[in-house]
Amino acid sequence: MKSASLVLFTGFAGIGTSLLLAFLWAPSVSIDAFESPAAQRIFYWHVPAAWAAFIAFGALFIGSAGWLFKRSERMWRLHVAGSEAGLATGLMTVWSGCVWGAAEWGTPWDWTDVRLNTFGLLTFLAIYVVLGRNSQPDGVETRDTFAAFGLYGFVLVPLTYIATRIWTIRHPGPVVGTDDGGSINSDMGMVLLFSAISFTVLIVGHMMASMRLTHLEQRLAALQTVTDEVI
Amino acid sequence: MGALLNLDEVEVRRGMGVVLRHHSLRVDGAQYVALVGSNGSGKSTVLEVAAGLLPLEKGRVLHQTTVIVDHEGRRRRSPLTLGLALQKNGVLGSEVVEDHLRTACTMSGSSVDIGPFLESFKLNHRAKDLIAHLSQGQVRKVAVLSALLPAFASEEPCLVLLDEPSTGLDDDAVSVLCRWLSVLRQRGHGLLVATHDQRLIEPATHLHTVATATTQATEGAVDDADFSTPSTPSRRVAPASFGLKTHRQTMLWLNANGMAAVLSLGLLLALGDFFSRLSELQQLGFLLAPALAAGLCGEPLVAAMREERADAWWTAVGGGVPHASWLPFLLGAVVSAGAFVGFQQPLEGTVVLVGGAVSFVVWHGVRYLQLATSRLARPHAAMVGLLTPVLILPYALLIDWLTR
Repeated sequence: MKSASLVLFTGFAGIGTSLLLAFLWAPSVSIDAFESPAAQRIFYWHVPAAWAAFIAFGALFIGSAGWLFKRSERMWRLHVAGSEAGLATGLMTVWSGCVWGAAEWGTPWDWTDVRLNTFGLLTFLAIYVVLGRNSQPDGVETRDTFAAFGLYGFVLVPLTYIATRIWTIRHPGPVVGTDDGGSINSDMGMVLLFSAISFTVLIVGHMMASMRLTHLEQRLAALQTVTDEVI
Repeated sequence: MGALLNLDEVEVRRGMGVVLRHHSLRVDGAQYVALVGSNGSGKSTVLEVAAGLLPLEKGRVLHQTTVIVDHEGRRRRSPLTLGLALQKNGVLGSEVVEDHLRTACTMSGSSVDIGPFLESFKLNHRAKDLIAHLSQGQVRKVAVLSALLPAFASEEPCLVLLDEPSTGLDDDAVSVLCRWLSVLRQRGHGLLVATHDQRLIEPATHLHTVATATTQATEGAVDDADFSTPSTPSRRVAPASFGLKTHRQTMLWLNANGMAAVLSLGLLLALGDFFSRLSELQQLGFLLAPALAAGLCGEPLVAAMREERADAWWTAVGGGVPHASWLPFLLGAVVSAGAFVGFQQPLEGTVVLVGGAVSFVVWHGVRYLQLATSRLARPHAAMVGLLTPVLILPYALLIDWLTR
């Protein structure tokens, strides 16, 4: 638990530093290229949060598959951790996107934009998996059902990734990792990279802590069963 | 006689434990196998596995030579006519007694006169009553009869699965039941009965002890019972037609889906005269919104069928959970036409049909989401509504496409 706390703290510290750099050090964008140039700084939070969300949803997928096909307790704990981390980072991405969208596009949401909606659905899936699972007693029926949702939901991840390459309506396409070298300068790229690493560390720490917590909950439940039998 | 049922090394988990491990069981035609064991030993689990209702961790379940479920999740429809009475009665309170029994009877593709059966169980005076109006013991008699009637009607060997059938039955009814089970066995049907009741164990040809997964022959069975039941060919009631009939009788569609459509249309109309100021895309979105609202409520039958585990009975015996079939299309088309009238627009047949299609697709889409949680211990608490936004994007893209 100590190592998880340390990783989690490092992630928080890194994100705090990223925010300071984003607001105080990163260069401003051209006032001609954006409707709301100041709001563009949300980018240093929004994009790394989305990146961390994809990692979390990846963990949810691996955990779900591991439970369904291998019946692995460790994989079930990864499913739990991935869904909780996916919910946290998904909400971070969605609300920061809504704030940025309201400033830049004049509307926080567009129901016909495929990327917005597929990402929103991923977040809804995470809400559903977390709340739905917590409403049920632990058991193979609960695990199978929510692991299946975790597995099906992952179909949305590649769809969300390719959405801006195929259907660009409002949401911009990729700004880094493209063939033309991307559209951001090196200082911006450095802050973005630092923020992405910080979010990654945070999400890894979160999942380590969550897996440990689930393990302790399972041990407690087993001990309670033993106590019931003795009494 | 060949094997009607074969549980081949099955392993089943329920909750946090393994209930059955490497469990095998065979039931042939003309065999009456009594499942015995203490409470919690897994008798009901064996019966539900035999009916193909539970997923397997290992092994497979065969009906005759057809694998109906295996550990890799493959499922096939049973080639046999099944008679099934679980611990829960598998009936809807809104059904009329004789209608339910006739429906159950048709699962064999034949029907028999149910009068003598009702008379033997002292239920003939309640034949036209709703099941909800019966006492618990009477409902149990209806559930047991609905498991036996398909076998009485069938010329082919059937598999009859009964879980504690004598619970709540008076002594006379148990005597009648023992006689009927003997008749069915003599006719070549296979019987698997989980029971603690010695009166039901006595006529069994075999005892299967669940804890040890062992079967032994008994000497109690005597071929002396007779009960004449001439049968006539009959069309099997499909889950869709039963679902439509239930919707018609109970008006469940109006209570949930219909009201959602009417309220959403009423709300839009109450906002005032704004329609003419909207873009074409927005107008179409508003015209189809009531049909979408009707569909988003999902299938009210899914929740209704969980009463007394009627969904499990239909899954095992009827081949699927009843549903509203084409009713959502009709409702969607009608409320879309109503939206045109409400907004004082000239009626467009294409949009009305699209409204029907939207309601149909969304209704059945939500139904599949509802069914996906049916295995959970508390399916009503699983918050399926949180997943319905998955249907908003296709709706928005459809509206966008139609107005281009």
